[in-house]
Amino acid sequence: MSSADGATRLVIEGLSRSFGETRALTSATLRVRPGEIHSLAGENGSGKSTLIKILSGVLQPDSGTLTWEGDVTRLGNPSSAQGMGIATVFQETLIAPEMTVRDNIYLGTDRLFRYGRRKGEEVAGARQALSDLGLDGLDLDRPMWTLSLAERQLTTVARAIIRPWRLLILDEATSALDHHQRDRLFDYLRLSRSEGKSVLFTSHRMDEVLGLADRITVLRQGATVATMAGSEASRIGILGHMSGRAGVGDVVTAEPAPRRPGEREQGPSQRPVLRVEELTLRATSKPISMEVGAGQILGLAGLEGQGQVEFVECLSGLRRPAAGHVLALGGNGESRPVRSYRGANRLGIRYVPRDRRHEGLFGPLSVFDNFAVTLWTDLNRLGWLRRQQARKRFDDFAGSSRLVSASPRHPISTLSGGNQQKVLLGRWIAMRPRVLVVNDPLRGVDHNTKEELYGLFRRLAAGGVAIVFLSTEIVELLTLTDQIAVFHEGSLVAMLPTEMSSDTDVVAAMFGDQRAGDGEPGRDGEPGRDGQRGGDGEPGRDGQRGGGADG
Amino acid sequence: MTDSSPISATDGSPAPAPTTGQPASTSKTVTAVIAANFTNWLPYILVPVLFILSLFFISGYFSKLSIISLLILASLLGLSSLGQTMTIIAGGIDLSIPAVIGLSDIIVTQLYYKHWSLPVIFLAIAALAIFVGTINAVSSVLLHVHSLITSFGMSLVVSGVALEWSNGATTGAVPGWLTSSVSAIGHTGPIPIPLIIIVWAVASVLAVAFMRLTRVGRETYALGANAVAARLATVRSTWVLVVVFSISALCAAMTGVFFAGYSGIPDPTVGQPYFFLTITAVMIGGTSLLGGRGGYLRTVMGALIVAELTTLLVGVGFNASFQELALGILVIALTSTYGRELKVAAKI
Repeated sequence: MSSADGATRLVIEGLSRSFGETRALTSATLRVRPGEIHSLAGENGSGKSTLIKILSGVLQPDSGTLTWEGDVTRLGNPSSAQGMGIATVFQETLIAPEMTVRDNIYLGTDRLFRYGRRKGEEVAGARQALSDLGLDGLDLDRPMWTLSLAERQLTTVARAIIRPWRLLILDEATSALDHHQRDRLFDYLRLSRSEGKSVLFTSHRMDEVLGLADRITVLRQGATVATMAGSEASRIGILGHMSGRAGVGDVVTAEPAPRRPGEREQGPSQRPVLRVEELTLRATSKPISMEVGAGQILGLAGLEGQGQVEFVECLSGLRRPAAGHVLALGGNGESRPVRSYRGANRLGIRYVPRDRRHEGLFGPLSVFDNFAVTLWTDLNRLGWLRRQQARKRFDDFAGSSRLVSASPRHPISTLSGGNQQKVLLGRWIAMRPRVLVVNDPLRGVDHNTKEELYGLFRRLAAGGVAIVFLSTEIVELLTLTDQIAVFHEGSLVAMLPTEMSSDTDVVAAMFGDQRAGDGEPGRDGEPGRDGQRGGDGEPGRDGQRGGGADG
Repeated sequence: MTDSSPISATDGSPAPAPTTGQPASTSKTVTAVIAANFTNWLPYILVPVLFILSLFFISGYFSKLSIISLLILASLLGLSSLGQTMTIIAGGIDLSIPAVIGLSDIIVTQLYYKHWSLPVIFLAIAALAIFVGTINAVSSVLLHVHSLITSFGMSLVVSGVALEWSNGATTGAVPGWLTSSVSAIGHTGPIPIPLIIIVWAVASVLAVAFMRLTRVGRETYALGANAVAARLATVRSTWVLVVVFSISALCAAMTGVFFAGYSGIPDPTVGQPYFFLTITAVMIGGTSLLGGRGGYLRTVMGALIVAELTTLLVGVGFNASFQELALGILVIALTSTYGRELKVAAKI
């Protein structure tokens, strides 16, 4: 069964790769045929990106074989992968902002001297590539930073396709594109397929996977768990393989979460700790008013760049809203406005940033130092550290969060992503927050750690902490939150009670579909309060679940 | 002994292998850890090694006088590099040290010559140093430029003041005790060791304690390791910079005072070699120029190594240009072995 079917362009068998303790890939198997569009599906942290980095020569596997057009190969570096005809568009839009569009497209193709090609050829090549992708009018001499996010993303695709390629890898390359641009890109991919080329792509959008892929390979926790034909695949089937839960479709779409059993029914009795008054995120968006109660977990959802990130930044004092206030409510009814990040922190509003490596971790410092950095604010006597107390809080936290760390003295970089995230959360949890604002905290966290972190958030909420939880994964929101606030174009378009919502409801609201919120934002005054916890969500939900299998 | 404090062992130690879970490839990791730890200890090993080498090559090296001379040399460098270590750990660098050394040398020799009282002179120098350090830090924060630039500008300003002040002056005076404080036969009260060595020893203990045991010290590491994360973790970035740059200028001023004792005459250029020497001592010790890792004890080793190597080379008969060459090679050789951590990719 190995290479008997001669018609494979790429065969991968038993590929594995670890980073310290984290086993990103354990056993990946994949076959890509000529003239095929192949989709790689999997949850965050399932190993997709690692596999793609191996295929493009960025990372080396620990074990396993890679066969390219019949020959067992090692891809020692990115240029050897390119030389063999593998072109990759990475998830992060990698551009040189100060350089022109043309220079960005030809980035990395220079030899010893820059002008190995004639300018005319370069311009023609770039124009061709851009027009294949629907960017015919784009000025090649514009500096890259003046482009929209979507144009930048397409330019990175153009950069990949001007090189001779036989396998094009797209890692979430459609995330910033609108429907029209996406369709143009897909047309190009289909055209390439008819020329016998191969495409391997990942997408978080299930409709893209189902609509485009000839075959789909599903990864779960670093291993290939299924490969199926696109024509036979269903959304439910793929989700089932991705999560490893049989009949996951039922769990996800119908009963959103194995919820905290028997804990506080969502009564209106929760004491509000955070109030948002007529908050306007952008000049053109509608004002937002809501309250978050102690012990409540409020989820924030939205497509990329719809205002939910600005919202958490306003809550944590990192951004001044265009208008309106964020108020921290004290126990005795007093309210204090959030004016700055420091001010928010003094009021007990703690923010856990999204980009762990750049905004959270102190790479060279130890696990303990990373944890304790915030504690010294309180735990010092005339500036001298009270280390015993800090150490005690660390031990308490490490125990309760089941932190996997060889020693608190080891550098934080030796921890897996999930455990690093625990330390970052612990930094603020140890400060006993009143409101914890978390920006997509489970990104790149492996499955088991994710479950542990769910537990951690629930315990915090049970202890009276209000949690505002922004996530790009709808499943996470449905699993963890009490309510989901959905943003679209800078406005809050729906406030969905999680218990009565399906992922279809959330997705519909994310695309600005008013049904989902049941006309919610139109109501003056107080969207998001007690009113719609009651029956409001109900009718819309039943109506949608019928057609909820996605189309 | 130094890296074994239970909590703050972030002294640039390269990543040890995780001992739980399944390491990717055990044998490879173990060798890597041994190699990494070995290079990590290199400065501590080099100090005695160079000393023993010198014993072989220089006759009469093992005498009190020659050891004290060596320590005086190391003290001057060690004191001037104290604040530099902190600014570098904070993610900055202080290029104004040589200028402050020069200005402080001028102030002492000129004002003492004019019969100002010593406490007043020292207070004035300290105030000036704190002013210079604060401007270095605050301008870097307000103008959003690296302290490399602000301290370089400050260096030009301070040098200009020193040159103007000393213009033509070749006469100056220093108290006798200051001269003997940097003399190999000097005493500190009843102790037969010159004052500068004792000052350096006390300052070293204080500096190491400051970096490890105080809030500002820990915040310095955090700021240097990741400025964005530091802000989000409510680290007082500006305050940290003001403190470390003020300490740096104070140390430079102190070095300048001792230099005045050394020569007794005003010389605004006396600090010039310390432009590179402080950075050399810091780097040889193993404090990363990238910030966030290292420590002053390492710089103490770095200063001792520089002093020993210089003495050894002079003793064997090499000239000054060869000494620079040797120091340069040592810097490159040592820093290339430090911080050999897991590859960047492995941290993703």
